[in-house]
Amino acid sequence: MSEPNARRTGGSWAVVAVLLAVGIVLPLLVGLYDSIEPRLGGFPFYYWFQFLLIPVVSLLTFIAFRLSLRATRKDRPTFGLPAEPGDDTRPSGSER
Amino acid sequence: MHTVQLVIFLFFFLLVTVMGFMASRWRRADTLDSLDEWGLGGRGFGTFISWFLIGGDIYTAYTFIAVPATLYAGSVVGFFAVPYTIVLYPIIFIFLPRFWSVSHRHGYVTPADFVRGRFDSKPLALAVALTGLLATMPYIALQLVGIQVVLEVMGIGGGTNSSFLEKDLPLFIAFAVLAAYTYASGLRAPALIAFVKDTLIYVVILVAVFYLPTQLGGWGHIFDAASKSFDAFNKENADAIASGAAAGKGIVPPPAAHWAYASLALGSALALFMYPHSLTGVLASKNRTVIRRNASLLPAYSFLLGLLALLGFAAIAAGVKVDNPQQSVPALFDKMFPGWFAGVAFAAIAIGALVPAAIMSIAAANLWTRNIYKAFINPAATPKQEATQSKLVSLVVKFGALVFVLGLGTQDAINFQLLGGVWILQTMPTLVFSLYTRWFHRWALLAGWAVGMVYGTLTAYNVPVPGKPGSHFGGPLQLVPFTDTKGYIALTAFVLNVLVAVLLTFVLRALKVANGTDETSPSDYHADAGDPGVEDVLEGEPGTAPTTG
Repeated sequence: MSEPNARRTGGSWAVVAVLLAVGIVLPLLVGLYDSIEPRLGGFPFYYWFQFLLIPVVSLLTFIAFRLSLRATRKDRPTFGLPAEPGDDTRPSGSER
Repeated sequence: MHTVQLVIFLFFFLLVTVMGFMASRWRRADTLDSLDEWGLGGRGFGTFISWFLIGGDIYTAYTFIAVPATLYAGSVVGFFAVPYTIVLYPIIFIFLPRFWSVSHRHGYVTPADFVRGRFDSKPLALAVALTGLLATMPYIALQLVGIQVVLEVMGIGGGTNSSFLEKDLPLFIAFAVLAAYTYASGLRAPALIAFVKDTLIYVVILVAVFYLPTQLGGWGHIFDAASKSFDAFNKENADAIASGAAAGKGIVPPPAAHWAYASLALGSALALFMYPHSLTGVLASKNRTVIRRNASLLPAYSFLLGLLALLGFAAIAAGVKVDNPQQSVPALFDKMFPGWFAGVAFAAIAIGALVPAAIMSIAAANLWTRNIYKAFINPAATPKQEATQSKLVSLVVKFGALVFVLGLGTQDAINFQLLGGVWILQTMPTLVFSLYTRWFHRWALLAGWAVGMVYGTLTAYNVPVPGKPGSHFGGPLQLVPFTDTKGYIALTAFVLNVLVAVLLTFVLRALKVANGTDETSPSDYHADAGDPGVEDVLEGEPGTAPTTG
């Protein structure tokens, strides 16, 4: 996809892509963690390492989320959208 | 019969049932007679409710029963559910916001709606809809197995000598209750019940993962007990394992099983959000930000999933001996907990199976109504007729799942979910790739889908149950063609699917075959709640008048 204005936010999206790629690929490299030792609290390495991956990947995803908020806002005019969602005159869905 | 367990179990079960019926009054719109109201709960859930709703897709009988059962049974790849739910969230993060945007701009309620709009192709939309219906059934079947084994461990039904009716009657009753309240309340019922369910589940899990290990000599001892038991099995059955008649057991996958482990995790993660029910939950969230924020919050669920999985080892350490591994966790609770708390735990498991079963059947029903009934049978259907169709089909889908439970063995229930994955993953090129590009040709995507479906189904059909030559649908793994490595069939079929789609796209584009009119525009994939043309609550006739931004 070749989206205009990519240069302004391209850097942020590249960082987001790297963060997410690490989060997806690292847990799939079974050879990195398929051992019993060292144990931690009775857990073989294989198990505690995968538990450790949960908060690690969660953190990577959270950083990606924060970066994406800014980049998404900057990208909006590129796609013909108002600077902020809800800038149009339509009443926001408060009737619910 | 376990009286105390049963009384407590029934108390919570009835509580939830009553709540299900009352849910139809909660945050209610004028009428539930429109498909959007019944099937999407009016689409306005914020971070908190969305978190519970999407979490409901993770915490199911899959988590409580099927995954621990694979560990109990000594499968070397049994723990794959943990990396599955880890890599899931970065994947969600990437494509679901785009799907939310385009759906809310054009009033799409199902994945097939999007395909029809993007490719102007009824056959492709039909293929996606049929795949969704088919793949959802074994997934619901897995939930039914969860309820079934809980009832069996409580002493209702089951037993080798009991008649067909005696064995399955409790299952039918539980099912009728689910069907009735889903029918009356739509998506509101599972959303409200999710609060009770998750409260119960958290209590049970916390007790199970903190109290149980102390009773069993700590996690170290639990792992040792499992390891010792598997070593003993491998020694005893060395000949059978060498000849392939039995599978070796272990707590860590040997190098030969690494790709099996990784491909099960990746394939399952890619497949989950192709299911219509998962997308329904996503579409019900208030805006794009909710989806991405949730992607970083949901892993709280993964952590508990992993600890629950290990209860399979805990059952071994506790000396639980059951013929059907699916019973290992209920039998563990029965053995280790006082009667009243076992009742609470069983209620949590059963309700935890009912809620996703309801969500799944509603989403499958939406698919039927919008993309088959309305597209091919009765194009002039009124909103009321649509809602009626959905309600009826949600019952049909549940009974289809019931047939799955009764027809296939329940020994290895996780295979139900993995079989669903083989099918549903074949819709990914059509659904996800086309969120980014219109390069693919609609007929090439359809051909790729067909190749993936045929290859996946045949391959899965030809996998025998270990030790039973000539049996079928015995497991999710098969040799990847041209290699001697086993991998998840879904992922292999997916690769074939993509290859066919790419090759044929080159051919069809060279021949300049028409690729349909795209009703979406680039800005549709970025629009957020509050933007022009974005409907946050869809009312009136769904899908007939797509708005353009």
